[in-house]
Amino acid sequence: MDNDLTPWLAVMVIAFVTFCSRIAGPVLMSRIAASDRIERFLDAMAVSVVAALVASIIAQAGWREAAAVAICAVVMLRCQSAIWSIMAGIWLAAAWSSINV
Amino acid sequence: MVRSKLPDTPHHANSVTLTWIGVLSGARRLAPLSFFVFPFGVGFGVAAIEQELTGPQAIVMSAVVFSGAAQFAALDFWPHPTNLISVALVIFAINGRHVISGAALAPWLNQLPLHKRWLALGLLSDPNFTDSHRTFQAGEKDVGILLGGGLVLWLNWILGTAIGTYAGTTAGSLRSFGFDVVMVCFFATVMTERLKHRSAIAPAVFATGVSVMTLGWLPAGWNIIAAAIVGGVAGAVRGQ
Repeated sequence: MDNDLTPWLAVMVIAFVTFCSRIAGPVLMSRIAASDRIERFLDAMAVSVVAALVASIIAQAGWREAAAVAICAVVMLRCQSAIWSIMAGIWLAAAWSSINV
Repeated sequence: MVRSKLPDTPHHANSVTLTWIGVLSGARRLAPLSFFVFPFGVGFGVAAIEQELTGPQAIVMSAVVFSGAAQFAALDFWPHPTNLISVALVIFAINGRHVISGAALAPWLNQLPLHKRWLALGLLSDPNFTDSHRTFQAGEKDVGILLGGGLVLWLNWILGTAIGTYAGTTAGSLRSFGFDVVMVCFFATVMTERLKHRSAIAPAVFATGVSVMTLGWLPAGWNIIAAAIVGGVAGAVRGQ
């Protein structure tokens, strides 16, 4: 079993890695020439993580979450507002829960 | 947060500086936008409670990490974030964008001494990057704009998180209110935005396939890392 300090340690690891990612760009640029391919790799990797998270969360959760994501994406395409699309997703999930108790 | 002493010197025509005037100006520029960061902070606070973080843990995380995508992704490891190597790799992969935006700011930042460079980058995020990069390109020399924009976003993010954790602990069943889907919906909005660029489609498709196929047999988090690498390579080899 993990002890009480584990979550705090994880928070510190996340903070450290995030800080490193923030300073990495200028550090790299002072050493190597920027390459198109490296830039494409990092860009694609960031997109991939988000795609993988959505896919694996839905795969583990089910239709309710898949429907919430779907309405969220539709609203995002329609009105370009992240807040409203997340609200739509929350609303759908709440409605789904109230119908299928 | 900003404890180090910033010189209040006037701008020199050709040299990059970091001054309080710049910090204030950056904060003022992004104050209206930062209002919209607040509800995301609330969403994170609620989601964190849902994943069994304590209120103080969630608030400290928002203060020391200050990255919505990374923090929501990190929640996937809770309530037992024991595999710190997977945590570190997933967070690094999701923060790959910081490396790119930091590199884009390098022509200005790298004219500063190291400690000021790190101070200015400490609160780098998408909105203050976009705002300050545009301003630097137009001839601005004060990197304080980047830090100031970050500060006002950071304050709203922490405040939102605090209120979210309070709501999360007092509202009862989050599932019946639909708040448990905040995290996945946040990712869905980011995804929808990114997919408008055609170059993002192939990496996203590969990543989706790899993450679902490896879900059952890779340890927690490693299916995301595998998907990130495959998707990254798919993006890197494009157009050859």
